[in-house]
Amino acid sequence: MSTLVRATRAQPVHLVVLALIAIVFFVGITSSDRFATPLNIANVQDQMVALAIVALAQTIVILSGGIDLSFAGLLSFLAVVFAALAGDTAGTLLIAMAIVIALGIGIGAFNGAITAYIGVHPLITTLGTSTILAGCALLITRQPSGSVPLFFEDFTYGRLGILPYGMIAVIVLYLFVGFMLWRTTFGTRIYAIGDNEAAAAMSGLPVQRTKVAIYALSGLLCAVAAMYMTGRFGVGDPRAGVGFDLRSITPVIVGGTLLAGGKGGVLGTALAVILLALLANVLNFMNVSSFYQWIAEGLIIIAAVSFFAGRKGKS
Amino acid sequence: MTATATNTSVKPNRNTVRATQRRELLMLLGFLVVIWAVTTALSPRFLSPANLKDILIQAAPLGFVVIGQMIVIIVRGLDLSVASIMATVAVLSTSLIDVTPLIFAVGLLLGAMIGAVNGYLVAYRHVTPFLATLATMIVLQGIRFAYTGGAPGGSLPETFRFLATGSIFGIPVALIALTVTAFAMHWLLERTIFGRRLKLFGDSPEAAYMTGAPTKLLQVMAYVISGVMAALAGLFLVGYVGIVDNWTGRGYELDSIAAAVIGGAALSGGKGSVPGVLLAALILVSLFNIVVILGLSIELQLVIKGTLIILAAAVYMKQSQS
Repeated sequence: MSTLVRATRAQPVHLVVLALIAIVFFVGITSSDRFATPLNIANVQDQMVALAIVALAQTIVILSGGIDLSFAGLLSFLAVVFAALAGDTAGTLLIAMAIVIALGIGIGAFNGAITAYIGVHPLITTLGTSTILAGCALLITRQPSGSVPLFFEDFTYGRLGILPYGMIAVIVLYLFVGFMLWRTTFGTRIYAIGDNEAAAAMSGLPVQRTKVAIYALSGLLCAVAAMYMTGRFGVGDPRAGVGFDLRSITPVIVGGTLLAGGKGGVLGTALAVILLALLANVLNFMNVSSFYQWIAEGLIIIAAVSFFAGRKGKS
Repeated sequence: MTATATNTSVKPNRNTVRATQRRELLMLLGFLVVIWAVTTALSPRFLSPANLKDILIQAAPLGFVVIGQMIVIIVRGLDLSVASIMATVAVLSTSLIDVTPLIFAVGLLLGAMIGAVNGYLVAYRHVTPFLATLATMIVLQGIRFAYTGGAPGGSLPETFRFLATGSIFGIPVALIALTVTAFAMHWLLERTIFGRRLKLFGDSPEAAYMTGAPTKLLQVMAYVISGVMAALAGLFLVGYVGIVDNWTGRGYELDSIAAAVIGGAALSGGKGSVPGVLLAALILVSLFNIVVILGLSIELQLVIKGTLIILAAAVYMKQSQS
């Protein structure tokens, strides 16, 4: 049991999030007959796949004490590139996938390098790359364009029982990253850097190289999210990523990961993504306009961070 | 204590700081002159008085916002809610009242109140500035849309439009307001105890606390100033555009951070000057105008802007290391 707690980095707050999920689920069942149907449950999962992947990327970066605001531009840019290259055969699809993944890793590594070796604040670096890439995406095409092979589009809509394939991919990715944070040197280093970068450097950890790897991994996950989104849309939307920079941060914070770094994990993010997706779905069933959903989201952030504030100790 | 442990460099005395500041200002000015000269060579239309006046008027709202943003950045903060404040203030105050002075009074008060909430969350609740202002941004967005039902319909009084588009002795009113505000804020930052304490807090919160400065109040005041500046910007912007929109000012949060950083403010706190960030705002707005004048595709300005942000931050970082 204690191993499980250590492996998942479970915190008391996760019980709160779980309880909230149960409450929202209960409210959902009572408010509409259509809520607990397999179709709707699959629908909720479809809604959260892209967010879950970028939130996972953001979790890794935030754990290391950084932040990645490049998702808006990066997702848009990769989506456009992917749709432009994917063609309509398995061969072109594979080439497009390889190129998009390489671009994601390369751009992420660039973010990491500027941040680690020159010392520019990650917020500024990633804001800069996001702006550049948003521009590039729109330079390539102003309207959604390109296409993906039909079988890939079908794949992103496919389901195994009530589990969409996208969701299965998300679960695999979370397990993979969770294991990496738990058992690998790389994972330990991420926590060490997030906890106290100066101490990590003094104890001889390769802080700079690790940072490059962290942002590169973030870029790689973004590439996966971009390919999934393009498959769902069927075209490459040059505005596909708009809003994902800030949206990716909410589940990380609500899940109990500290923005200052060093504390938290992927379990919290996973639970928070489920909570937020369910909440949006139930509020839609209750005909609550998205305007009030925004107010709720903002208040949830304030409640969550006020709850965690001071946990790291005031220096 | 980690912050002080890593910051082992000795603080340069004020004359060196001034000299660095002057060098940075000259760099920005040089850059502005170069891009203006190149554009004029390619298209003489650029340097026409009418176009220059356009650039200056368009730069005015960003000028207000970036001054506030810089002051928050000086105290190691960040204000992501500025754009949301701009729109919320514009929507609420113009729909509630139709007398120009009152619109401004209510709008500025509203901006100050929202800023105070940000400051309270940051200073007293120890919420990270990024998250506090992100939450405020989203909440305000919800309130604004819920209040207007998605479609705002306020009409602007004639005098209000004059304030934003009219001129006195040929000088646009918006520019006069910005100039007065800029001088006042410059004086506040460089010549008063309040300003010194803001910078001291940014350099070292512990040191500011030891000297007996009311550190929490300082932070709150910084966010209040940013809120008021955003409110002013929102009102001038809707006055200029002539339409009140729920998305008024969209993008100003990131543009103001960009301008502040290009203008020499550092997210680590303690650094920033009013002339620097105003020059940077002018550079950003000029670039937009240049892209249009030269008939380049508008998206190119995003690429240039992003490159500038990273380059500027990298150059300042190299400077402070050497």
